[in-house]
Formats: sequence, structure tokens, C-alpha cells
Amino acid sequence: MTATELTQLLADGLILGSMYGLIAVGYTMVYGILQIINFAHGEIYMLGGFGALFVYAWVPGLRAIPLWAALPVLLVVAVAVSVAAATGAERFAYRPLRGAPRLAPLISAIGLSLFLQQVVFNFFTLPGSSMGVTAPVPFPQFETAPLDLAGVQVSVAGLLTLALAAFGMVALTWFVRRTRTGRAMQATAQDPATARLMGIDTDRIIVIAFAIGAALAAVACVTQGLRLGTVSYNMGFITGLKGFTAAVLGGIGNIQGAMAGGVVLGLAESLASGALPHIDALAMFSGSVWKDVWAFVILIVVLLIRPQGLFGERVADRA
Amino acid sequence: MSTLLRADGVTMRFGGLTAVDRVDLTVDSGEIVGLIGPNGAGKTTFFNCLTGLYVPTEGEVRFRGALLPPRPAKVTRAGIARTFQNIRLFAGMTVLENVMVGRHTRTREGLLSAIGRGPRYRRTERESRTVGRELLEFVGLGGHARETARNLSYGGQRRLEIARALASDPGLLLLDEPTAGMNPQETRETEQLVCAIRDRGVAVLVIEHDMRFIMNLCDRVAVLVQGSKLVEGAPADVQADPRVVEAYLGAPQEETA
Amino acid sequence: MNKHLTAAGAALALISPFLAWTWTPLYPGDLTLYGYPGGSQLVTLVCALTATALLAAPRLAPAGAVRALRAASLAALTTTWVTVVAIAVDLGGVVNLEPGAWLAAGSTALLAVGAHRLPDDTLDPPRPVPRLPRWAEVLVITAVFVLAMYVLTYGITTGSPEEFLAFLPAALFLGRALTVSGLGAALGALTARNRTATAVAALAAALVFPFTQSDGQYTAIADNILIFAAVALGLNIVVGLVGLLDLGYVAFLGTGAYTAALVSGSSFSTLDIGPLPFWATALLGMAVSLVAGIVIGAPTLRLHGDYLAIVTLGFGEIFRITVNNLDGSSGPSLTNGPNGINSVPDINVLGFDFGAEHHILGVEFGRFANYYLLLLAVIALVVFLYSRVGDSRIGRAWIALREDEKAATAMGIEGFRFKLLAFAMGASLAGLAGTVMAHLQTNAVPDNYKFADTAPPNSAFLLAAVVLGGMGTVSGPLVGAALLYLIPAKFEFFSKYQMMLFGLALVVMMIYRPEGLIPDRKRQLEFHEEAVTT
Repeated sequence: MTATELTQLLADGLILGSMYGLIAVGYTMVYGILQIINFAHGEIYMLGGFGALFVYAWVPGLRAIPLWAALPVLLVVAVAVSVAAATGAERFAYRPLRGAPRLAPLISAIGLSLFLQQVVFNFFTLPGSSMGVTAPVPFPQFETAPLDLAGVQVSVAGLLTLALAAFGMVALTWFVRRTRTGRAMQATAQDPATARLMGIDTDRIIVIAFAIGAALAAVACVTQGLRLGTVSYNMGFITGLKGFTAAVLGGIGNIQGAMAGGVVLGLAESLASGALPHIDALAMFSGSVWKDVWAFVILIVVLLIRPQGLFGERVADRA
Repeated sequence: MSTLLRADGVTMRFGGLTAVDRVDLTVDSGEIVGLIGPNGAGKTTFFNCLTGLYVPTEGEVRFRGALLPPRPAKVTRAGIARTFQNIRLFAGMTVLENVMVGRHTRTREGLLSAIGRGPRYRRTERESRTVGRELLEFVGLGGHARETARNLSYGGQRRLEIARALASDPGLLLLDEPTAGMNPQETRETEQLVCAIRDRGVAVLVIEHDMRFIMNLCDRVAVLVQGSKLVEGAPADVQADPRVVEAYLGAPQEETA
Repeated sequence: MNKHLTAAGAALALISPFLAWTWTPLYPGDLTLYGYPGGSQLVTLVCALTATALLAAPRLAPAGAVRALRAASLAALTTTWVTVVAIAVDLGGVVNLEPGAWLAAGSTALLAVGAHRLPDDTLDPPRPVPRLPRWAEVLVITAVFVLAMYVLTYGITTGSPEEFLAFLPAALFLGRALTVSGLGAALGALTARNRTATAVAALAAALVFPFTQSDGQYTAIADNILIFAAVALGLNIVVGLVGLLDLGYVAFLGTGAYTAALVSGSSFSTLDIGPLPFWATALLGMAVSLVAGIVIGAPTLRLHGDYLAIVTLGFGEIFRITVNNLDGSSGPSLTNGPNGINSVPDINVLGFDFGAEHHILGVEFGRFANYYLLLLAVIALVVFLYSRVGDSRIGRAWIALREDEKAATAMGIEGFRFKLLAFAMGASLAGLAGTVMAHLQTNAVPDNYKFADTAPPNSAFLLAAVVLGGMGTVSGPLVGAALLYLIPAKFEFFSKYQMMLFGLALVVMMIYRPEGLIPDRKRQLEFHEEAVTT
């Protein structure tokens, strides 16, 4: 493997990983506060991409202007759709179950995840085609050729992913550390009962946590659509699983860790696909179909040797 | 009288916070020892160090001369049983089943004998049941065996927790505020119960806030303040000690400030 | 006054099934005959009879008859109206309704209104039920199981979606009538007193089914329900007793199926082994699934329960990806990829060929009936293990861990060991069911073992069967599996929206009835704790 090839793999991994990181933040924030895994987060992510696609397909003016000019609209719509779905989910599927035995919200989340997936599957419609999407649907793409940085090819969409992920993380860090609401959020994650006694409206904090996670996931989905050129109704399942893996890698509950975990996972995935063909014993598992399996193996290994995550504080066990 | 439990320089730190600081404590067999101190003094943390829930950062705990294993399940097997400050029963199981779970470490029926149900299995189950019923009788819950644990009265739940702990045939019973939330009548009954437990040959280490309870019951009292042991001695001496009064009520000048 | 209203409704509702409801036999079940109830009219008749009995002899219901009467009246109302509306829709207009249909619709409405205006007579605690002599108790138990089997058989053998749609609400509401009347609890006590008799009666009633079937069509459905139910019961150990959420359970079923297919001697198998005798295949399938269970469980069961959920979810997906790609081109050659391993031969035990027809007591036993018997044995084994282990030192440790892990540990229960035991046991039982499934379906293909799909068994449906039926019970997953298999099978025209409604149903179920249709009494308390304490 040459240095250029290696750099290429690292660049691809970094881009993929920062997308995982954006999804992981949603898992980690909700888990940090409510200690539940929001299983439907993968579907919240998927809905963002379909929301963007929907306006792009149905609003003629958007296709008339260059994609980079339409992009802000797509992002805003994607975020709006995902945030609406996430806050709705919180209100109707999770909030009634607070205080119920642990299994209840998990099962409810699985039901919700199936429901959202099937809503898109059955009812999403593009102009000129019948209702429902059974296969991946084309997503608008930049037509600019990939940039060549000293032999390393980076697509515009890839750069955009990096930029949005960086911007998202900086803004989120600022929000959590510097604003009143952000500090209230930290307090709620530490101890909800006390936070409530201190006059913090914890219900509102929880909704905000869901909304922030959804917004970042929506951005992630738009960048994914731009990079791959398609979105599909079931894309949230595996990607959601990876986002969760990234959150665990980074130490669940730790926002910066989630992004770092995403990057580590992305790099690992990319390097695995690049390095495996060179390892004789594993060469037959190097195809792209196996990359999800490797991500899962990473999850198991991390849980086995370092369950608190690579960068994690210890997962607080609130009694 | 032999030493049952010996804690030597037990220290527990969480990050920068030292919750328990070099505490020594012994409990002899047949003794009732009280552990008192203001809220947040580290009593429950110390308890958790004795039961394997926490592994002390420094120091060691020996029970019957052997080093205490660092896992709660093994501590119970070694012969230390506990109750919890906020009652933790298996709320959905029946009262008798709760006590039978307490027999867990004293029985070893595995998967195959549960499926085969040979004579030995049936004998052990019968024994567990008998011991369970006897203990329920002992704590005064004889008539409630088939009820669901959560339907017991508050006092009943406290007693059930004690019965469940006794079911593991402990040499030492740790009680974490057994009379919290009880009225004077119930407190008196608990006092009698703890005496009866001692008479069964089980030593007791008890965290308590109710001074009368401590005075009536304990052979020895240790006072924990801010993680370290302040005094230890006979109840009357401890009660008269000015440092104890100060720890509870604050120094006189603070009082006026 | 209300009583008379109700009685009149019940009487007319009793008469209506004997009249013609429509003029043409085009509607399934032929409802054109006078003097003889046919098709869905039979369901209306049963509901009306139940209501009449409750009205005439309220003492039949130990906990009070009125609420049961209301449930029965709703059963009559829903089933009748479903049929009447279906006639009008199918045949194109209300003009196709004969007077009998109008009478049925009107009388059941009258019955329902009357029943709901009667004053509530709920008794708490219920009237004591007189103890019967032992032989009579056994007789009652047998009768109940025969009846239950008859109801289930009716549901399985309904020939049209309309008839099934008329059957389903009636069955659910009559089930509710059984519960609120206090008869359900009385029956529960009865079966608890006569455990052996109950087991024998249940098995005997289930054995009758293939004798009533002339061809394999419905026996095949029954076979699939049994596989589904066996796996759901296995999952219930993990979810119901220990409280661990396993979202990739179907992968263990698949592991068993692939193992069986590989050693079956099929010409598509990539292993040059076999055919092994079935007992060896079954043990091997269980062993491989057991190993898979330990590999997945060991790293995750030490952690917080939610990790297990996500890891098992991932494992289920990985299993599907793996068997899809072990095809020799994108991975090592083992499973033939998406084509799977086909032509798995039938089981042959000591010369008894499960693929051939046999004659037993003059009744012809086809292939599906043979497998039905085998699956019944598998279910019996699973129920046996479930109830024996569930009610032992191990079972108590499991439930204690579910109820309060910290307290359980303080009682000396080694949480990890016991969780792993449950997880491994569940996995190997699924593996066992998988070995039978591979032979029954003559193949092992990746698409049968997904996380979610429109037809069971898949992990989401399995979980739903346990949740819908009732966690921690034996009968719950059986009922849940039967319902969840029959609903998609009978409403194929609806399959497009099935998954969506299914997801919604899980959410609604968790919010309004988390304890399932047949609740474990203890769990019910746990889920409704606030209601009890406030």
C-alpha cells in the first residue's frame, strides 16, 4: 500500500466517521439524560434525508438553481422534518412510559422505528411515480469533479460533510457549555430529580435534547445522500446501529466522545476495507458487504475490553 | 468472644472525594454494634465496602480471618447479609419466594436437577420452604407467606428484608437504618427483633439515626464524621462525648453565626 | 327495564343466525339458509348463547356477570356487524341483506346497549367457587382444552378474510368475558391444582387437531404456528423471566436451521456430511446455537441491559449478512448465499419417514400432520423445561434479577452467570426449533431470518408475540404466536400496511396494556404500580 492510498483511506474514513459522529451525538444526549436508547434515532436520521428530497423533488424552483444554492433550503427542511419527528416521538412514544419498567420504552422504540420506516415505505411519493418507495431513490448530487489534493480524491460532498460536522460540534459545545439551557441540560443529565427541584423544566430539556440530536442526524443524512447519490427507507437501520456503536466507542453520555467515536469507527471501517485484502487469512472477508460485520465486531470487542468507551468517563449507574 | 469482622484502614475515594477515610472497625460474634453519624458521613459507603459493592481504595476487610472477596454475591456466601436503606425487595414475588431467594447461596441445585427433580432436589426445595416459613414466623410475617411482597405494609416490608437476609444463614447481619420511617411502636418491635436475631447467634452491625434505639440495643457504638471514625465506645460514653454533640449540632460559634 | 331490553336483544340475536342473511351463496360460508346457521352466523350464535347464559344464570360468573355480559354483547355486536357490513361491501350494497341480517344487526345492538346500561355487579373478592371431586375437575379441564382447541381450529380453518375478521373480535371479547367474569381465575386455580391432568389434557386436545383435517392445507398453517410458538416460548425465558431484551433471537433459529440443513445430506449442502440421524442433528443444532449464544452473551451480559438489546439487534443483522455472503464468491463457501440450502430431505426417525403418508387409527397422516406431531413434542419439551426451571432455585434467581438486580446480587446471586444461563438456554431452544424448521420447509434461506418482515418468524414478530401474549407466562406467547401468525396469513391483501400498523401496535400496547393479553399476575402489578399505590 502506498502512502497516497493510505491517505486516501484515512480521508474517506474521516468523512464517513464524522457522519457517524453526527448521528452518535443524538444517541449519547438522549441516553445521558434519560438512560434509554432511542432505537428510532436511525429512522429520525432517515426522515431528514427524505424530507430534503421531498422539497427538492416537488418545488420546481429548487431544481432551477444550482445545488449549492438550494442546499440551505434542503438542510433546513431536513432538520425541520427530523426535529418534528423526534419531538413527536418523545411526546407520544417515550414520555408516557417514563417510570415504566425498562423494557417498555425499548419495545415502544422498536415499534416506533418500524412505524416510521413503513410510513416512508408506503407513502413517500416522487413526482411522476406511484406512492411508496421500495428501492433506494436518487438524491441530488454535486456535479463538480472530486478535488485532487496531492493524489487524494475528496468529493465536494465529502468536504461539506467535514465542514458541517465541525461546525455542528463547535456550535453544540458552545451551546452546552455557555448557554443557560445548556447548563440546565448538564444538570439534568447529572441528577434529574435535583435539577427539577432547582426549578429546571426537565421535560423541556428532554425535548431539546431529542431535537438537537435529530437536527444533527438530519444534517448527517443529507450529506450521506449527497455523497452516495441515493437514500432508502431502510438506511436508518444499519447506520443507526453504527451511530450507536460510535456513541459507545466514545463513552456513552459524552458528547465530544461521540464525535471522536464516530471518527474512530469510520477510520476503522475504511482501513479495514483497505487493509484486509492484503491480509491473506482475512482477504475473503474484505468485500464491501462485510464492512458492517466488521463494525459490529469492533462494537463487541470494545464492549469486551473497554465498556466505558475509548474516551469515556465511567458510565454513571444511577441507583 | 472471637472477632468476626475486622476492617483495617478502609478508605474509599471517588475521584478527588474521600468518602471513607481510614476507618477501623471490629465486630465480635454475638455483638450488636451501632454505626452513627450525621447524614453524608459515609456510613452507607462504608457498608458498601463491607459487602463487596465497592472495593475499598485502600485498607482491607477480613471476615472470620479471611480476606473479603470483592463481589457482593461472594460476600453473601461468605456469611455477611445486608438490608438496604431504601427497601429493595423483589416486589413482584410472593413473600415466601423472597425469603427463598435468600436461601440461594446455601443451596446449589443446578439446571439438571431443576429439570430432573430427583429426591435430593425435592428435599432441598422442601428445606428452603421450611426455613423460609420458619423465618417468616420469626419476624412476624407468618400469615403473609403467599401475598405479593409489594402488598405488605411498610413495616412488613422491612421485616421481610430482614427475613430474606437471615435466610442466607449469615454470621453477621448489616442493617442500614432499619427503623427509618417507622412509628415508635414499630421501632420498639424492631428493637426486639434485633435482640432476637442476636440471640440466634448472629452478630449485627446497624446504621441508625434513632438514638434511643442505639442506646437500648448496642454493645458498642462507632461515630463516623466526614468519612473518618470520630469515637468508638459504650453507648453512654459516646453519647456524653462533647465531640459527638459538636459533630451533630455544629460547634457553638457556628451555631450563632 | 334494562334487563328486559337486554333479554329481548339476546333472544332475537339467538334467532337471527337461523334466518338467511343474504340471498346469494356468493358470500363465503353460505348464509342463505333458513333453520340452520352457517359460516359466520355460527360465531354470532355462540356469542348470543354466552350472553343469554350470563343473563339467565348470573351465578355462573364468580366475580359478577354484568361486565362479562357487556364483553359478550360486544363480541356479538362486533362479529355480527363485521359480517353484515362485509356482505354489503362484498356484494355491492345493503340491498343484498335479507331481513335476517337486519334482525341480527339490530338485536345485537339492542343487546349491547342493554348490557351497558345494567348496573355493575362486580364482586371483589369474587364468590368462592365450589370444589368439585377430582374426576369432575379433570373433566372440566379436558372440556376447556377441547373447546379452546375447537376455537383455535375454527380460526385456523376460516376460508376467507371476512370470516376471520368476524371471528377475531368475537374471540378477543369472549376471552375478555372469561377474564372479567372471574372464571379465568377459577380455571387458573383449577389447572394449578391438577398440573399433570392439565398437561395431558392440553396435549390430548392438541393431538386431536390433525385427525380433524382431511388435507394438509391448514395443518401446514398449524405447523408454522407451532414453530413460531416454540421459539416465542424460548424467547420468553430471556425476556419474560430474566428481563433481557434479545432483538436478534431469530438468528439462533437460523443457526439451528442452517446447521440442520448442512448436515442433512442435501445435495446443496457444502458439507459432505450426513444425513445424520435426527437426534444428532437436533443436538448439533442446539449446540451450535448455544455456542453462538455464549459468544454474543458473554461480552454483553455483564453490561447494562440496553447494550444487550443493541448488540443482539446487530447480531441478528450480521447473521443475515453472513449467510447471504458465505457463497464462495464474496466470502468462503458455506451457505450458498441468497439461494440458501435447498432440498433438505424429510426427517426419518427409526424408519418413520416424515415425508410419507401414514395411516394411524384409520386416519391418513400426511407430511404436515407428521411434522405437527413432532412439533408438538418440541413444544411440550419447551413448556416442560420452561415451567420446571422457571419454578426452581434458578427460576427464582432469574425473576429476582429481573425485579431488582442489586438486591439479587446482595442475596448472593451471581447475575452474570444466571443471565448467561438463561441466554444460552433460550438460544439452544431456538436452535432446536430451527433444526425442525429446516426440514419442514425443506430449506434454509437468509430471508427467513430477518429482524423485521411481513410474516413470522422474525425477531420483531417474536418479541411482539411475547409482549402481546404476556411476558413471563406459558400461555401468553402461545396465544400471541397464534394471533400474530394468523392475522398476516389471513389478511394477505393487507400486507402492504401490516408492518406499519404492527409497529404502531407495539407502541400503543406498551402505553395502554404493557402486560399483554394474558398477564402474569405479578407483572401486571409491576406495570401498573402507580395505579396501585396512589
